[in-house]
Amino acid sequence: MIPWLAQAPAEPALNMWNAPAGTPEIWIKVGIAMLAGFGLLAALIAAPTRLRRPISAAFIFVAGLFWVLVFLFPKPIDSQTPHDQRPSGFVQNVSFWLADAIPVVSNFSNILTAFILGLGVFSLMRIHLMRVAKKQTDWPFSIVLLVSMVAMATFGYWDWKTRLDLGGAKVDEAWPLAAYGKDLLFDGMLQVMEAAMFSLIAFFILSAAYRAFRIRSVEATILLCAALIAMLNLMGAVVVTWDGMIESFGKDNAFLMNFTLSSVAGFIRDNLQTPGIRAIDFGIGLGALAMGLRLWLSLERVGGN
Amino acid sequence: MANDKTIWEKLQAIDRRVLYTLLMVIATVSLFFKVNVPTKPGQPTKDLYRLLVDADALPEGSTVILQSDWTQSTRGESAGQMEALLRILMRRNIKFALLSVADPQAPLVARNVIRAINLERKAKNQREYQVWEDYVNLGYFPNAEGTSNAIAANFKTAVAGRKETPPGSTTPLDVFQSPVLAKVSKVEDVPVYINVTGSKTSNILIERLGGRVPFAALVTGVMGPETLNYYQSGQVKGVAIGLNGVAEMESLMEKGLEESGKPPVQSFAGETNYGRGMAYYLALHTCLVLMIVAVVVGNVAMVAARKKK
Repeated sequence: MIPWLAQAPAEPALNMWNAPAGTPEIWIKVGIAMLAGFGLLAALIAAPTRLRRPISAAFIFVAGLFWVLVFLFPKPIDSQTPHDQRPSGFVQNVSFWLADAIPVVSNFSNILTAFILGLGVFSLMRIHLMRVAKKQTDWPFSIVLLVSMVAMATFGYWDWKTRLDLGGAKVDEAWPLAAYGKDLLFDGMLQVMEAAMFSLIAFFILSAAYRAFRIRSVEATILLCAALIAMLNLMGAVVVTWDGMIESFGKDNAFLMNFTLSSVAGFIRDNLQTPGIRAIDFGIGLGALAMGLRLWLSLERVGGN
Repeated sequence: MANDKTIWEKLQAIDRRVLYTLLMVIATVSLFFKVNVPTKPGQPTKDLYRLLVDADALPEGSTVILQSDWTQSTRGESAGQMEALLRILMRRNIKFALLSVADPQAPLVARNVIRAINLERKAKNQREYQVWEDYVNLGYFPNAEGTSNAIAANFKTAVAGRKETPPGSTTPLDVFQSPVLAKVSKVEDVPVYINVTGSKTSNILIERLGGRVPFAALVTGVMGPETLNYYQSGQVKGVAIGLNGVAEMESLMEKGLEESGKPPVQSFAGETNYGRGMAYYLALHTCLVLMIVAVVVGNVAMVAARKKK
């Protein structure tokens, strides 16, 4: 029997979903899958407008139903129990099937997510090539972007291939042009620029804190005091000094120990900050559930209808 | 007219460029001083250290899953966390399987840190960690939720097909043939699942893997309060938060851990323990002092100006 989705073992010798890497068979299967995908897309585009929405809704419902069943259906005793040792009742069979199918369905979603990357590259190329072709505003920056993207991809792939062919350790020793180029572009430029860009946040935080933290009301004063304690608690030298001073008055005095900086900050964190975040998370969770239900059942409004 | 402003009014509206310059100078100058600032490790960091160093919780030679979900945007915090973590794992001969779900750059960034710590070990004539023998890089998985679900359901199937090249070979082999993952078929087979993250991936993991495997998190200051929810509920066994957490970890590595009612945890005295955490810790202090001073000046000026009116 041809294995189907969940029944396909992790590393099978052969089944209808895979083939040995580099063989013509795998490329034929990739080609068939791509043709089938494009065919499906073309069929969806060609479908009458009034049918498109029900088709999309059906796909969304089936995709969502799997995860709803995974969450609600009884769990199997151990999803890795060998097939010949599994209980054979309907409920057990379905629960085993669901558990086995999770990695397969997750791989589907991983592949779909990876397609977003391709879509992003395509979109970026299209927009910036158009801008260069039409010489729109700031078109030289578009050239910089396109050249950077192509150079990074080229050296990245070259380095990866070299490491695959020679082995990582040998590449680190010999340091060929591929490794040098990748290192210069990725570590020497992209990573440094990324770190520099995010470090700018510190400047904005300082400026914002200076302007916003004003004791104009009781609430603002409470907020300022809490923030001050939290900031002081981040400074190990201050914590050690303050707590040491309190402890010097009497380490066995439980009441006095409530006034150590770590205790006060801990009280604020454990009894005010964390429960507050928990409450917000509950709210977000409920909102996400409601939104998820609307998406799953295709109840969301489309195009202002 | 601007010149008619009193000193108090001027102090309420310091030009942002002055603040930026002060911050830049103070942060930069602080980085030139190598000072071991004292720390008082918090309970979440102590629990993390105990989990990583205690032989009962994490036996020597065992394999952990290390999910590295940070890039250079959070280098100030995450790089120090990763370095301290790798120092501990390598000193204890703990094997690790590295994977990332947050950013395609993350595996490469993690590989660079491994290389840096290996160079540090090489300089001290210590054994370098070898890919395949001591660690494998499972690479990037582009969907945090889906990948976490798949790992929870069946780790072996979730990472099936990932290959790594053994040293001296040019043929990539399945990672499950490596000594690192030879005895791991499900996530419950690893004693600890560790996540170094600059984003929400620790929450995603806990929500899907909670209860299956002891979980440790090294998160940024921004993600700290959210992660503490799971620490308080016992779903995360130990947390290091932000740069403060790194400095605390490094301090514990140097001095060890002694808590009443619990067995002491060894230190790594004599090794390179103070690293990036302590290198940045003075700058954190001075920058926070600047922020506090700026806030205080603004408020004092506001109150004084009001009184004058």
